Amino acid sequence: MRLYKKEGTTIQIISFPNEKVEKGDYLTVEDPNTGKSLIVQVIDIQYANIPGILDELLRNYNGDSYIQGEDVDPFEVATHIAYIQDACLLICKIRATNNNGDIISTSSWLPSRSQAIVKRLPVETLFAQAKINGKHSMHLGETIEKKQLHVDVGALDGGLNIITGKKGTGKSHISKLLTLSLVNHGAPVVILDLNSEYTGLGQDVDGKPNEFHGKIHVLTPRQNLKVTLIQLKLRVMLSILVNALHLPGTSAREFRRIWCSLEQKGVLTMYELGEGIRNWKCNQHVRDALFSRYYTLLNSGLFTDNPAQSSSLEDSLYKARIGGVVVINLHDTSIIDRLIVVEYVLGKLMELLANWKLRAIFLFAEEAHLYLRETYWDDIVTRMRHFGVFTTFITNQPDTIRENIYRQADNLFLFNFNNEHDLETISRASKVDAETVKCVARDLPPHHCLVLGKVVNDFPIVTKVRKLDVHALGQTRLFFSKESY
Amino acid sequence: MNAQYPITTTPKYNFPPPIETLQLPQQFIEFSIRSLKKTQHSQTSITNNTTIQFPTTEYPKRFSPTTSLAKLIPNRAKTPIVAIDVSSIKLGETETGILLATRGAIVWRQDNHYHYLRIGPFPFHITEKNKNEIYSLNQHHKKAHLQEYTSPNLLYTQTRLTTLLERWIQMSVNQTTHNSLILWDGSLTAGTPETSVQEMEQLLKKARDNQNTVLAFSKMTRLLLHGYRVTDLIWKHPSPCLLKIQNYPIHVGPLCLMGNVHVAKLTEDRYTFRLDIDKQLSHKQSIEAVQKLLGNDLILQSYPETLRLAHIFSTFTANEVLGIQRCIAKESNMRIITRPNIRRILFGRFGKGLEG
Repeated sequence: MRLYKKEGTTIQIISFPNEKVEKGDYLTVEDPNTGKSLIVQVIDIQYANIPGILDELLRNYNGDSYIQGEDVDPFEVATHIAYIQDACLLICKIRATNNNGDIISTSSWLPSRSQAIVKRLPVETLFAQAKINGKHSMHLGETIEKKQLHVDVGALDGGLNIITGKKGTGKSHISKLLTLSLVNHGAPVVILDLNSEYTGLGQDVDGKPNEFHGKIHVLTPRQNLKVTLIQLKLRVMLSILVNALHLPGTSAREFRRIWCSLEQKGVLTMYELGEGIRNWKCNQHVRDALFSRYYTLLNSGLFTDNPAQSSSLEDSLYKARIGGVVVINLHDTSIIDRLIVVEYVLGKLMELLANWKLRAIFLFAEEAHLYLRETYWDDIVTRMRHFGVFTTFITNQPDTIRENIYRQADNLFLFNFNNEHDLETISRASKVDAETVKCVARDLPPHHCLVLGKVVNDFPIVTKVRKLDVHALGQTRLFFSKESY
Repeated sequence: MNAQYPITTTPKYNFPPPIETLQLPQQFIEFSIRSLKKTQHSQTSITNNTTIQFPTTEYPKRFSPTTSLAKLIPNRAKTPIVAIDVSSIKLGETETGILLATRGAIVWRQDNHYHYLRIGPFPFHITEKNKNEIYSLNQHHKKAHLQEYTSPNLLYTQTRLTTLLERWIQMSVNQTTHNSLILWDGSLTAGTPETSVQEMEQLLKKARDNQNTVLAFSKMTRLLLHGYRVTDLIWKHPSPCLLKIQNYPIHVGPLCLMGNVHVAKLTEDRYTFRLDIDKQLSHKQSIEAVQKLLGNDLILQSYPETLRLAHIFSTFTANEVLGIQRCIAKESNMRIITRPNIRRILFGRFGKGLEG
């Protein structure tokens, strides 16, 4: 390999056919004079612009048998010509400089073109140099070089993460892997599970209980996720009414009075709440507005007056605080009920975190645009983070996540995308340059992921995500499957 | 030299010959290997302008020629067409000489399909020490060399080597084909340092012996008639037609025209070419040969496709030049450096022309 060109943070390297290099590979460009070396990553592989190549290809094209022939080549020059013809141009991005063992993120110097030695840099060597493994090691998968990749799951702590890729590329799989790794390191996780994909985390592929069985707490609204109004604080209820059910301010004020009145009387139940609205002296429009919300709440099945039927989210979170998962199963839940449940869960989380009943929580939100209200996006990246809610968004529609979320994301787990618009959206992530995202993500095979951010110390790594021994649920139901016959 | 050519006794058409019968002249290959061995550990500089073409030297003197124009009718009687072309290229310079490569191509049209045989490339390192070895490769050249008063310039060795390979291929084809039209690139001019009259005579005789007809197309000519370039004489005439220039002197200085000079306009456009046809053939035979060419080959811009392909297949592309340079560098352990173009340095963008 020979150093050819440098433009900004892009380096072009000529590679010959016997030097096998793939997209995502790391190389070092070592300058023997200075002892420094550039750490660069291959983001694209092109044919080298060999002079006369078009003439050569046109002349030797015999696809239509119009012309056929033989060569008498006693000096076997043809092999040398083919060698030149197959030379590649590696488009690389400078990731850092290795200055006698110190890894510095700079590209302000230029190695000698005539003397630079270009070599492959195995990911394990890079990790050792960049000290990536960390305290909370997690086996993520294997690198392009078929070496096991361990990253520091602790890098998810205090961060905002995004898992994105087109349908069927392995997003849910990596989110399960991250979840279980967090659990392994004693972290509490809450999953807003839209398709009931995470309910089998406590079972192995055969459906038998696995090592995580006792740590997975699945809460399904109407079934084992029911709350009494006493469990629910007024602040949370108002949040549901205003944000999920769009109750106007005047009506909310009346509701607050009714709630306080019932609380003072010690009769805070759904039944009494209905009666309270009915008998409350207020404007008829306000009463109607309150009643319509009341019946929505009643029909959601989330609320009960029977304390024996109620289950405490708080209890489940308490159990999970030393390593466990609370799966909020939103499958088969109507849109409005989903909004109510999510408002309740997030409200409760904030309450527990604010009171230091929970230290911090890792929240995994799949297709969050389907249940998160607009204002939550800003809350998540600003306010909630400070309370200890560290969110991971999982989506196959990158444009449903706001640009500011991408900008502030600490880690990005990127799967294959072909669509230019999607790639453009993701390329706004501040953790990496747009070119890397566009060039590498386009060619990622299924189950291969480009990991960006703190978790890999800002050295983008392509990895094949390892398999998990958990019961796969939530797969797409097919009509033309064996079971349909 | 002649002993190396296999003599075909079968009178029937047997082209293409198997590759084994087209044995390369061993001396030619050996000279190439020997010359490259001597380049080991020497530095080679690559010139920016590597292609050098030498113009055909023709010296027309006072003469009173006449012309006769013949209309042509394509003759579709099946006749194999074989075309030969050879290219050479300067690859670079060493401290002691120059690096060259030559390659020949034979293209033939059979059953509406074109076939080719490429011979080479042959890389050479020509130095002041070994340049005279070129002449030992060919008996005729030995004689020609003896006639020279001074040693030839190194630069001319490119032409010598190219012609050597070309004549060898031409002889091989002349004796292995029968009843064919053999197309050459260039003229039938002999008496040059590269081609002696005797050698050209032998080549044409061998072709005639096997009922072949040699048609030599020149892309460029400096022959003038009444102050006009001969190729400009018939561009207004309807095509296809052939203008024969009669009474053209056979000997022009040391040069000897071994063919009758014609101007051919084979398609409806402005393109005309000088066409030399063996002098020993009658006018009728010459006309018949060109008519067969019209009936058996694709003619575009008045030029036979077979010959065009021979040119294309023998020509070196820039990619091939790099490949050969790499081959030499690897086999001869040479470090290739680029010698600065002094013309460019002195005259900037006005520094055109040859290196040096």
